[in-house]
Amino acid sequence: MSLTLAIPSKGRLMEKALATLDSAGIVVKAGETRSYRTSVEGFEGLEVLLLSASEIARELRDGAIDFGVTGEDLIRETIADPEHTVEFVSRLGFGQANVVVAVPDSWVDVSNMEDLGDVAGAFRARHGRRLRIATKYWRLTQSFFTRQHGIQSYRIVESLGATEGAPAAGSADIIVDITSTGSTLAANHLKVLGDGVILKSEACLIRANAVGRDPGARSMGDELAKRFGV
Amino acid sequence: MFSATTVTSTEQRIGQALDELFEKRGAEAADTRIVLSAEPYLDTAGEALRRRIFLTRGEGGENLCLRPDFTIPVCMRHVAQGADLPKRYSYRGLVFRQRADGPGEFVQAGIEDLGEDNRATADARALADSLAGLEACGVDLDRLDVILGDQGLFEAVLRALGLPEGWQRRLIRTFGDERALEKALDALSKGAEDILSDLDPQLIELARDREEGALTRLIRMRMEDAGLPPHSGRSPGEVASRLIEKVAVAEARLGADALSTLEAFLAIDCSLAEAGERLGEVAGPAGLDLGRAMTVFETRNLALQAASVDLNRVRYRAAFGRPIDYYTGLVFEARLKGASDTLAGGGRYDRLLTMLGADRPIPAVGFSLWLDRIGHCLDKGEGAQ
Repeated sequence: MSLTLAIPSKGRLMEKALATLDSAGIVVKAGETRSYRTSVEGFEGLEVLLLSASEIARELRDGAIDFGVTGEDLIRETIADPEHTVEFVSRLGFGQANVVVAVPDSWVDVSNMEDLGDVAGAFRARHGRRLRIATKYWRLTQSFFTRQHGIQSYRIVESLGATEGAPAAGSADIIVDITSTGSTLAANHLKVLGDGVILKSEACLIRANAVGRDPGARSMGDELAKRFGV
Repeated sequence: MFSATTVTSTEQRIGQALDELFEKRGAEAADTRIVLSAEPYLDTAGEALRRRIFLTRGEGGENLCLRPDFTIPVCMRHVAQGADLPKRYSYRGLVFRQRADGPGEFVQAGIEDLGEDNRATADARALADSLAGLEACGVDLDRLDVILGDQGLFEAVLRALGLPEGWQRRLIRTFGDERALEKALDALSKGAEDILSDLDPQLIELARDREEGALTRLIRMRMEDAGLPPHSGRSPGEVASRLIEKVAVAEARLGADALSTLEAFLAIDCSLAEAGERLGEVAGPAGLDLGRAMTVFETRNLALQAASVDLNRVRYRAAFGRPIDYYTGLVFEARLKGASDTLAGGGRYDRLLTMLGADRPIPAVGFSLWLDRIGHCLDKGEGAQ
């Protein structure tokens, strides 16, 4: 019987995730370079995989792994209904970053979502197209703009990297992106709207829906969750 | 035409009844494809649709979707073929939407009425035909709730109250979204000084003095610093003039009298037969002249009577609308009394055809019937005659 837990495969997120496991008594040694398998001590039957943070969110959604450490932003973007699909076991206190709405700082008339709603509403008549938002978070964007702020008229331009450069490149008017210090946004002459924080994200330990798992694996999962204060 | 697994025999029967009715009423059947470009949908109805449609990518990276409704492909087909106007198109077929409470595919039928300059006649015909459609299916009209709204009247009330244009636009945008409208009214009655609190005082000063030229120069400099492309997106002048408007709007208050007039208007919920009188009771004492919008409303009511619609059967609700910007006037819905599912819905969308590429504005109104819901009601014996 075994249980799988995936953690980010590189960078500070990986280091912090390893440290978190360590303080829960689980010692993980990453294998050779480029190996995605690890050796685990301190929890019988636990297998720890190294995956990219966004892949971890997808695997949790699909139930392909039992646990994962990844950003809340990726969970909420990847999974339509996370409250019913996965369980947030623990917020881990690292990887803090906000998903925000940012506009060019030369838009001196726009300081909140209400203003942006006015601009978006009038955009088509003036420019012959909708206001364009560059983002890799289409689900979060759409639910924030449409459901929370009643803004209907905009188009999402899917962006895979360097979203903050989209307004200067002319591929979008504004952006929705993740930021930790805001310095990248400022360097690109973008400002965050006063009520434009969509999500305060951090790394979380997430448990996939255990429906369909056998009772043995489930109680093993409960044991693991307990190590993180649940 | 449809596989038996998705369409019940009741749906088949009512489908045939509708085909006959639509033909008798002079509508031409319009075929459209099932796999369509998603762009026109995302562009007109908005991104909110993205999570409700079946979206896929073509080999070339283009967004494709399974037909989520008929209005857009029927209108695009008309724009492409350029037939003489006025013209009425009918349709019946599968549409595809992701919904939590039912299968992702279901049948809709309806009529799109394009290019009729006599809007009262076309509006009345749309409502009358949708009720006739329900009747032809076997639905007992006495068991229906039919609700009618008119964005034109709402806009006329805002104009007559003399609100700044920025406020009028903001309120119009929320029309049909009760929560957003309430929030906007609240902000309007309180005034909103804090709106300006995070603005550079120098900019506020320039905006108050309506120094559009100086503001434009300042903003242009900032845009150049940021390396924004000068010929796409918002121009410096546009930002400057909106800032001036924003400051004016923030400093505007809706007087208590005007607010209560607006609230009294939005609270109107009565039979269409009494609507004229109720509107008069609100507008008269406040000295509001609803002008052409009132004429349009009353002319439509006469046209409805001429089309044999009993005005006592239809409820006028002043706050009823759809917060999608191509809807411009009439909207209506029919459902069983006490039920939440819409069996028939329609409205006027005068702005849609130019958005879809028509070279001049084309007045348009249409309705669609939800055959799966109608069939379901009939099978349960809930709405039958």
